[in-house]
Order: sequence, then C-alpha cells, then structure tokens
Amino acid sequence: MDARHSHRTRAHAERLTGGESLEQFEGAVLSGVNEGAHFLGLGWVRDAIRRIAGFDPFPGTLNVRLVDRDALPRWRELRRDAGLSLTPPDTHSCGGRLLPALVEGRIPAVVVIPEVTRYEDEVLEVVAPVRLRTVLGLRDGDRVRLEIATRHVVVGKPIPRVEGSEKVTGQARYAADVRLPDLLWGKVVRSPLPHARILRISAEKARALPGVRAILTADDLPPVLVGRRMLDMPLLARDRVRFVGEPVAAVAAETSDVAEEAVALIEVEYEDLPAVFDPLEALTAEAPILHRDAGAYEGAPKERPHPNVQSIQRHREGDPERGLRQAARVFEHTFRTPRAHQGYLEPRASVVRIDEAGRVQVWTCNKTPFRLKEQLARALELPSERIRINPVPIGGDFGGKGFSTDVPLAYHLARATGRPVKMVMGYTEELMAGCPRHPSIITLRTGVDAEGHIVARTARAIFDGGAYAAFKPRPNVDLHGGHQAGGVYRIPHFEAESVCVYTNSVPSGHARSPGEPQMIFAVESHTDMIAHELGIDPADFRRRNLVGDGERLATGHRLERVKARETLEAALEAGDWRAPRRPHVGRGLAMSHRFAGLGDARARLRLETDGTVRLITAIPDTGTGAHTVFRQIVAEVLEVPPDRVVVSVGDTDAFESDAGVGGSRVTRVAGHAVDRAARAMREALARGDRTLPLQTEARFSVNETGTVTSFCAQVAEVEVDPETGCVKVLRMVTAHDAGRVLNPIGHQGQIEGGLLQGLGLAMMEAMGAEDGRISTLSLGDYKLPVTKDAPPLTTVILEDSVGPGPFQAKAIGEMSISPVAAAIANAIFDACGVRLRDLPLTAEQVFFALQSRGGTR
Amino acid sequence: MHAFDYTAPESLASALAELEEAGDEGKVIAGGTALMILMMQRLVRPTRLISLRRLPGLGRIEVVDGGVRIGALATHRDVETSPLIRSRIPVLAETLSRVATLRIRNVATIGGCLAHADPNQDPPVTLLALDARVRIAGRQGERQVALDEFFVDYYQTALRPGEVVVAVDVAFPAPGNASAFHKFLPRTADDYATVAVAATVTLTPEGVCREARIGLGALGPTPLRARDAEAIVIGERLSDRLLAAASEAAIRVVDPIADPRGSAEYKRQMAGVFVRRALRGAWDRASREAA
Amino acid sequence: MTLRIRLSVNGSAREVLIPSSRRLIDFLRDDLGLTGTKEGCGVGVCGACTVLLDGRMISSCLALAAFADGAEVTTVEGLADDERLHPVQQAFIEYGGAQCGICTPGQVVAAKALLDEVPNPTEGEIREWMLGNLCRCTGYYKIIESIQKAAGHARL
Ligand SMILES: Cc1cc2nc3c(=O)[nH]c(=O)nc-3n(C[C@H](O)[C@H](O)[C@H](O)COP(=O)(O)OP(=O)(O)OC[C@H]3O[C@@H](n4cnc5c(N)ncnc54)[C@H](O)[C@@H]3O)c2cc1C
Ligand code: FES
Ligand code: FES
Repeated sequence: MDARHSHRTRAHAERLTGGESLEQFEGAVLSGVNEGAHFLGLGWVRDAIRRIAGFDPFPGTLNVRLVDRDALPRWRELRRDAGLSLTPPDTHSCGGRLLPALVEGRIPAVVVIPEVTRYEDEVLEVVAPVRLRTVLGLRDGDRVRLEIATRHVVVGKPIPRVEGSEKVTGQARYAADVRLPDLLWGKVVRSPLPHARILRISAEKARALPGVRAILTADDLPPVLVGRRMLDMPLLARDRVRFVGEPVAAVAAETSDVAEEAVALIEVEYEDLPAVFDPLEALTAEAPILHRDAGAYEGAPKERPHPNVQSIQRHREGDPERGLRQAARVFEHTFRTPRAHQGYLEPRASVVRIDEAGRVQVWTCNKTPFRLKEQLARALELPSERIRINPVPIGGDFGGKGFSTDVPLAYHLARATGRPVKMVMGYTEELMAGCPRHPSIITLRTGVDAEGHIVARTARAIFDGGAYAAFKPRPNVDLHGGHQAGGVYRIPHFEAESVCVYTNSVPSGHARSPGEPQMIFAVESHTDMIAHELGIDPADFRRRNLVGDGERLATGHRLERVKARETLEAALEAGDWRAPRRPHVGRGLAMSHRFAGLGDARARLRLETDGTVRLITAIPDTGTGAHTVFRQIVAEVLEVPPDRVVVSVGDTDAFESDAGVGGSRVTRVAGHAVDRAARAMREALARGDRTLPLQTEARFSVNETGTVTSFCAQVAEVEVDPETGCVKVLRMVTAHDAGRVLNPIGHQGQIEGGLLQGLGLAMMEAMGAEDGRISTLSLGDYKLPVTKDAPPLTTVILEDSVGPGPFQAKAIGEMSISPVAAAIANAIFDACGVRLRDLPLTAEQVFFALQSRGGTR
Repeated sequence: MHAFDYTAPESLASALAELEEAGDEGKVIAGGTALMILMMQRLVRPTRLISLRRLPGLGRIEVVDGGVRIGALATHRDVETSPLIRSRIPVLAETLSRVATLRIRNVATIGGCLAHADPNQDPPVTLLALDARVRIAGRQGERQVALDEFFVDYYQTALRPGEVVVAVDVAFPAPGNASAFHKFLPRTADDYATVAVAATVTLTPEGVCREARIGLGALGPTPLRARDAEAIVIGERLSDRLLAAASEAAIRVVDPIADPRGSAEYKRQMAGVFVRRALRGAWDRASREAA
Repeated sequence: MTLRIRLSVNGSAREVLIPSSRRLIDFLRDDLGLTGTKEGCGVGVCGACTVLLDGRMISSCLALAAFADGAEVTTVEGLADDERLHPVQQAFIEYGGAQCGICTPGQVVAAKALLDEVPNPTEGEIREWMLGNLCRCTGYYKIIESIQKAAGHARL
C-alpha cells in the first residue's frame, strides 16, 4: 500500500465508519444454506443494521470463502473480536457482531458474524441493501473483493498520556526525587588510570572528615562478580582497575558535598599496567590481556579465539567464498563509528533502604526491575524475596538503563550505616562510566553479478566492548547489529562475523537498537558506493536487490508480507527523489528493517467496585507511552472509556517475573499480555461474573521472531558549504511500514525522537578519548541535538494489518534511528562527491576531503 | 561544593575592601555561570565569595562621551536587547544573541565574561574589533585598559589582585563604518564557536578602507587581533585578491588547539574563510551605509 | 557559613537559613522538597533545572541559593493555578510534548516564560527560545507543536 493508496482507502473508511481503517480481503462466492436469511428476518437484527450501517438489508447473505490462506489468521482475529456488537433483546436469542464493509470498492455492506453459525470460519456472510449476486452478476466461484472496516473505538486514536499530568506538573517522582528520613548520600571513588594494579587505598583522611559515615573498598564486600548475562565485573575494583572511571571505593556521608570531599581525600596508590584502547590492537598477540580467564566467567560465551574477545558470533548462508569468486565485481569498504552515550537526561540514580523487616527496598531507574531483582539477589547474596524494587518512572533509557551498578554499593553502604543511602551520578560520571554505544569498525565485502544483483557478502564487525561485558543482556553478549550486515537485501551467499572486544575503555552497553545504527551506516553507505561504481541510481540498485515476499534475508530468515518496496517508493516520492537540485544540494537514501522483540510479560486487571478498571503491569514507564497504549487496549477490549482504565506499575512483589523494557518488545509482548487479561475479563463478564472486584491475569510469551518484519526508508536532503565543508540537513523523510498504529501521538513521538538521535549520531555525537580518558566529559562538549538542529521532517506511515503485536501493531521505537547517518552520508556524496566512512559526518571531514580533491565536483 | 563565606556588599568601596581583605582566598562572583562550574569541578576553591550582584548602578547601559558604557553587571541579554545598542552598535547586539542559550544570557554578565577570559567566548571578539576599553576599579581608584591589552593568556587578564571590572566602553561607529560577526557552528546550533571572527571597516566615500579591525575567537590562548590582515586592507578597495591576502595574513597569527569543535588545522583554515566572510560582510554594509 | 535569605517561592514568602554554598537547585529539591526541578547536565546546558528568577529563566544548577535573596522564584510546581493547569502544561499533555518527562518541568517553565514575553511566537522564535532545553525523547517536534497550541489557546 503506498502512501497515496492508504490515504484513499482511508477516505472510504471515513465515510463508512467515521475514520477507521479498511482491510482488504478476497473471497470466492459459494452457495449456502441461507442461514443468514433467517437471522436477517429478525426484526431487531434488521433494526440494528439500519442503525449501524444505515441501510435496509436485503434479506439474504452472499457467502464468500476467503481465497488467500495467509489472510485467514487475521480474519479469525477479526471475527473473534472486531466490529460492533449485535445485542439481542432477550437472553434466549443469540447475538453476533457486525463489520461494516465495502464490496468491490463501491457497495456498502456489512459482514455478519452470528454467534452461532454452521459455516467454517473462513466463510464470510455479507449483507447489503441489494442482492449482490444480481447486481454484480456473480456466480459460484467468482472472486469478490471486500474491504472490511475494523472498527476500533480507542485503539488507533491519539489518546493523551496516562501519566501526562504528573509529568507536566513536576509531581512525577523519579529515583533521584525519592526522599527518605535519615538519608545518606553515596559517592564513588573512580580510577584515574586505564589499567593499573591497586597497591594501597588509604582512607584515614576521608574517615576523619565530619559527616562521613562509611567508606567501603573491595575488601569490605563479598568477592562477587556482576553482569546482565556475563558476570565479569566486580562491584568495586579488586586489585586491578581496567578503565578510567572504574569504581574503586564508595563513601556514604550526611550530605553530597561531604561525600564528594571524602572522595577527593581518599588516596589510592596504583602501579601502571600496559593498556590497550584500539580493539584491533587488542586482538593482536602482544596485546595486554584484560581478564586472565574471561572464559571462566559465568555466562561467558564458549568461543574465545583471543583472550580479549568478549564474544564472537557468526552467520553463514550458502557459500560466500564461491559467491565472491563468481561475482562480476567485488567491492570492499571499511567504516568506523565512535563511542556515543545514550544521552538520556536523567543521570542514573538509586536509593536503597533496608526496612524494619530486613527487606531491601530499592528505588532505581532500571527498566527491567524483575531481572534486577534476580541480579541483586545474587550480587547481595540474599534470597530474592528479601528484595523489592519499587517502581519509579525512568527519565529516558534508550538502552542504557538495564543494569544498576550503584544499587549493590548503595545496599552495602546502607548496611554498613544502618541508614538509607541515595546515589545519584553526575553527568560527568555518566560520560566517564556509563555504558555507551559500542564504537565499531565494520568491513563489508560484496560481490555483484553483471546485472547488478548482489550475489555474496562477507562482513566483519569489530565492536569495542570496553573493559567489561557486564552491560550486555544478550546470552551471547553480542549485538543485534551483527545480523544486519545483509541489510534489507536478498543475498544468497552471506557470512557475517561480529566480535566484541575487551579494551581498557569504559564498558560499552546497549543503546537504542544495539549495533544497528553502526551496521546500517556501513551497509547503506556501502550500497550507495556500489551503485555509484556500477553507474546505477541508488534507488534502482535497491529495487533490484530488495527482499520480496516469501524471500529470505541474507541471514536465511524467510519473510512474508514484505513491504520493503512500498516503503522505499513512499520515501522516494515524499522526498522528491527525482526533482532537480540546486548546486551543493544532494539527496541520499537509506533503508533498514527490524523485527519486533521477544520475551514474556504479565498483566493483571481488576474491575473495582467503583467501576474503574485497574491494570497492573510490570512494565516501568520509560517514557515511550506504553502505559497509554495499554490503557487503550483495555478500553477497546472491554468497551469502556479510556479514562475508566487506571494503569499502575506493580513492584516486584506483584509478579513473579517479567522481561521488562527493551528490544522493541513492549507493545508486542506486554501489549498482548494486557490484551489477554482484558479478553479474559470480557469473557468473565459475558459469563455473568459480576462479583467485584473481579480480577483476571494473563501472561504472554514469544520466542520466535516470525516472518513479519517492518521496514523503514529515509531520504535526506543536505546542502554542503564548499568553503567550510559544513553540512546543513535541509529536510528528512522517513517512511515506515508500521502495521497498525495504536496511538498516533506516541507512535510519531517514537519516530521523531529516534530520528533526532540518529541525526545526533550522524552529525555530532562522539565521545572523544585520549589514552582511555574520555575527553568529552560534559554535555557542553558531548553535544546532543537541540531545537534548531531538528530538520523539517516528513513522515509517511504505511499502515496495514499484519503486525505481530496486539491489533496488528509493529515495532517502532528502534526503527527511525538507524538509517539516518547513511542517508545523510549518501546525500553528502550526492551534493559534493565526498564519501565519508567515519561517523560523525563532520564539516571538517568534508572540508579536507574536498581540499584533497581540489574543489567541488 | 566546598564551603565558603558569602557576602553581597552594597557599595563598590566595600566590595573592594572585602576583596582586598580576602586576598588570595577571595573571589568575586557576578552571574556565576563560569565560576560555579569551576567550583563544582574543584578547579577553583575560594573560601570567600564576594558577590557583585547588589552593587548599585553597575548594570547600566548608558551613553558617555560619544559612545556607550556597559556596566559590568549588565547581562548578555541586557546588551542584546538594549535599544541603544541595537540601534547604534547592532553588531554587538547580534554577537550577544549568539552566545550560548537564553538561559545563560539571562545571567552571564559582561564583566564576568571579560574577567573569565576564555578565548572561546564570543563577546570579546566583537569588542576587540570595536576597540573597546575596559574600566577597572581597585582600592587605588579607577583605570582604563584597551581591551587589546586586557587579555594576557588562557583565563588570565591584566586585572591586578583586588581589582574588578566595572564597565566596558565602546565608541559609536564613525560615518562610513560597519561591522560583521561570524560564529561558526558546524555541528550544532548551541555550542562554543569552532572559530569566531568579527571585522569592522570604515570606508571613505570613494570606497577605500580607512580603518579596519579584526577580532578572532577560539583561535589562540586569548581572543586575538589580526593586525597584519588589518594593515593589508587599509588603504585598499575590496577585491577577492585583497580578501585572500588578508585571510592568509590572519591565518599566520592564529594558534588554535584541537578540541571537540575541530582540529587545530581545521580551525586555522576556517579562520581564513571567516576573516574573508566577515570582512566582506562589513565592507558590504559599510558601502551600503556610504551610499 | 550560614546565610539568612528571604525569598518568595511560587508565591509564598519564606525566610530560611542555608549554608552559603547551597546551590539553588539543591535548596529547592532537598530543602523545600520541590523535586519537580531536575538536574541533568549540572553545567547549564540541558535546561532540566530551569526555573524563573524574577520572571527570567535561569539554570538553577548554576545559581547559588543566595542569588535568590530578595527575589521571586517560580518552579514547575508553581505554574498551575489551583487545580487548573497552565495552558502550556495542558498542551504538553495533549500534543505529546512529554515522553519520559524528565525534561518536561524545564520545558514548561521555559515555554511559560516565552509566552509571557511573546504571546504569539513564530516557530523560529520558539526554536530560539527553547534552544537550551534539551529533550532526548521527542526530537522537539511535538514540544514545538505543544507550545504553538498553547499560544493559540492562550489567545482565545
Ligand atoms: C553552558 C554554557 C555555555 C556557554 N556558551 C558560551 C558561548 O557560546 N559563547 C560565549 O561567549 N560564552 C559562553 N559561555 C560563557 C559565559 O559567557 C560565561 O560563563 C560568562 O560570560 C561569565 O559571566 P558571569 O557573569 O556568569 O561570570 P562569573 O561566573 O560570575 O565569573 C567569571 C569569572 O570572572 C570573575 N568576575 C566576574 N565578574 C567580575 C568583575 N566585574 N570584575 C572582575 N572579575 C569578575 C569571577 O571571579 C570569575 O573568575 C557559556 C557558559 C555556559 C555555562
Ligand atoms: S542541570 Fe542545569 S542546565 Fe542541565
Ligand atoms: S521527554 Fe524525555 S527528555 Fe524530554
């Protein structure tokens, strides 16, 4: 469905149902037992149809069997719960549901779904004001096209934020806002050296400072190691520090000023060790080894070709060596991307209190509270029932708030002092010792045949993992980005190797679509470079190679319902791809795709005595609007106004487990859990269960990616100042194959926020480092995009009904960030002939490239 | 932050007395935008802070002897929005409007800006081109220093211990004079300049340059004057060759350092580009004025 | 050293004793419990700590509490009028101006100051005024739209 087309069908839908979307089905006519005629003979049914559809029904149905087997699951969902209820006047008759529809694009009709029917569920019974067989001249077996309006009252609407009012009034309490009586402030002493042995720590002066209540070093703590999957990081450095910023000691004091003074007074004697900062160097035979036996760490991946390898992951399909040998031409390019912070504006904060019952009460900005509870239970050597994570909203996550290294320290300080302890990082600490996006070095080698088809690719990605792998949640401690080396293309022979490497730098972690902005920058720049060499328009080259319906991605993953081409065309059209350009202006194109996430989630619903429906979810509020979408789902399913639905976040006592936020999973996984809980409640109510409060609970879990993905295509238009190299982004277009949009405000907010983060990565965000010391230690030096940096933006949404989420939603949160850098790099090339292979795309790089070429094209 | 004593004297005399008494331990604070950060980073740890914020009249912007006197406590925003400055010395208002963000400009003072002497700041660049003079007060009385002689090194000025800046004087432009300011921000709209250049030229009715001054920011240990470049354009008419020669001369005096805003070599090259652009801009305005 | 300062916070007069090195942001958050004002960057860049000092927006992370002696401080908690939200707050809710919400108090305080001074700003004026209020979630588009809508509403 292209942009214009979706617009057109929407217009029909609007007339028909007041602004709902239409879904296409095709069926073959069959004769039937005209049960519908009897049903339609009932006065109340005719009345209802008159009222709802606005016509007098012809007393007979046209029965149609669905032709497209793939459409069957969707139809089953619709017949289960879409449409308007036909409620019988008495309990003896049976009711049903009505779905407004258009037959052959012009005749208004309704599809009737009686509660009881003799037909198999792939048969649709269509009612119109006329006898359709006559009017359309149909005979058995003829095809008919139906557009069915799936009426959603709440889903798809721009419902404002559930938590909006707390946020705009300052009432929302984030972790750093938690105030408790007797609170102490915790601070951390950090290593000034990238690699060193700790010889001695003397804390006498600090201890003597009035107001200091506790000072802890590794000797005061159990020798545990922590991590999200791979447990390789001590709570405080023991004997050895491995990066500048590594915690060496922790202090608790009456005020944060005193705690800071104490930190400055703690003297640590070090002995320098040789350090390594370049991940390629770290893989050489002479490189200093960071961890003597990393393979022995719990959760460590098995394969370990070099002691400094954190993880290595391979993908192989077909025979890439042969493919490259047989290719007409082979291209190889290497790209680099820098370390980049997630840039949330809430630095990490934690509060720990050990209550009267000896329970550990935790408030912290962590998006996976249930996993945190398990991690803490191990780190603190406590039974997990003794730990309770209290929900707080999270001031931005973008991948970085999945692990809370300060909580165990705050706990030990609280234990040592018998008082609650608050630890809030300064932004300098965030930049020095957060868990930024992995820097990367990516080499792609691609063979094409004489017709410009990609036949083979090998890819090698080196990700600088920093001193510890602890921040990575994947079992293989690798990044999704590795899989994306094939892009959105059909490549029969493929090999990708992705390696995360230890270096004496700040540990890297997950950041919005981990590894993908890096990889997509490489892949989509490479794609344009090949197209240029072949003399093919970049859009045409993509058209030739895009994965199609029923085809496989380079990884061998088979896809269905593929919208790659439509998404591309929509972006090209909105981006005026073919329009003439002024001098020094260029356009660039880039694409990506992403699957919705996996995991499990729980939800609990309670119908209260006052009629409110309370949803208790385990998903913390990271700002994405998830709670609002949950509210819509509940309101939709239960047919109640949205403000009757109250969303509250359960603490970790409320449920047994939950995967939390991440990997574009929330709407898909937790949304389904909410949907199921709501349906269970609807059924209970339908059974006549009216004892209040009425509670239902559901769990949803999915661990198969499935065959449906979503595509994104972007066009950037830039102007290059040939005298300075300065690049101005004149406009951006982003087109999304979005499935069903559940809340257009939230959906668009995800697109816009992600796009601007992509722009940041493209144009400015880079954490500088010298000998392992981060040199951009404040947001004055590490720049994030500001209002004036946001370019004019056109968004094209291609909606359809095949997403894996509830109500056919697809993932959106991690889509728009990845193609931006390549789209801009490609536009720069188009504008001035300069090809940049390193992010960020600085004016300086363009300038020197232009100089060495001696002027513009 | 560390502990310190804080006073907010209500007369210049008592402020100066307190400053003298505090000696090395004392520091004045105005807007605080620079000093607060230095203190939080533990780079500066005065035990006495003497606030100038209550000194009466020190925030005035007024006409004196053919020019304007900007009190040390006038904020960047005061200068940017002052009708007097906007109409008589528009390039100064324009320069101030390019500093940081509104929240900083609402607070940062002209006195603090000069005394802080960070070579990456913008106002000194234009004030240099405008040949401003700094008025300084101490226990011994007031003195004046040409801005040109005021900046000594990174974060160092000609202020002697116990002295404060009380105002900066800028003459009104002569007939045939115009100026231009360029702040080069290649990565984001809110940043310190990669390079900043201000140029002012005075033309004869025939279009010959009678007087020129060029200020450079982020290009050395202090804000700089490009005197050789100025000498090259004086007595000449505008031409591409002239601008090229001036920009080459300017490149020779700069000594930038690499930072996240650009490498030293890039900044040097950009000094050349923006000297050219600023000169041309000022020249065009001046000839429009003359016409 | 302890200072005695008199000030008005969100319309209520106070006289308090504070350590002279207390920053305004810490005074508001920790002493007065007005935790709506957030600390992000701590160096004047992000605007999460924006408050109004005598009607002018400032970074409370770069101000001493002593600066507020004799002045009037307005924080996000002081924008709503009894139970009625300020039009800016209402618009941020309706038009998606707030996502994670950590920047939001600073945004709405800055936007209120804008509309107080320029009741009907152009998009360019909004971008300029809000330049120092970072938001990592929204990409700014919906913040700008919210302010435009609030201005329209305020006009009615
Ligand atoms: C986030 C941020 C961004 C910035 N961006 C820019 C920018 O883009 N361009 C730019 O030009 N500047 C920029 N600045 C710098 C800003 O302009 C300076 O911090 C400001 O000018 C300092 O003025 P102040 O009144 O706040 O000084 P204070 O911080 O009060 O004082 C600074 C120094 O000057 C001394 N001092 C103050 N007043 C006097 C006086 N009257 N006499 C003697 N000594 C005095 C103090 O003792 C201190 O050493 C930025 C600052 C920040 C925080
Ligand atoms: S916290 Fe004050 S401006 Fe960022
Ligand atoms: S809403 Fe999250 S930073 Fe603005």
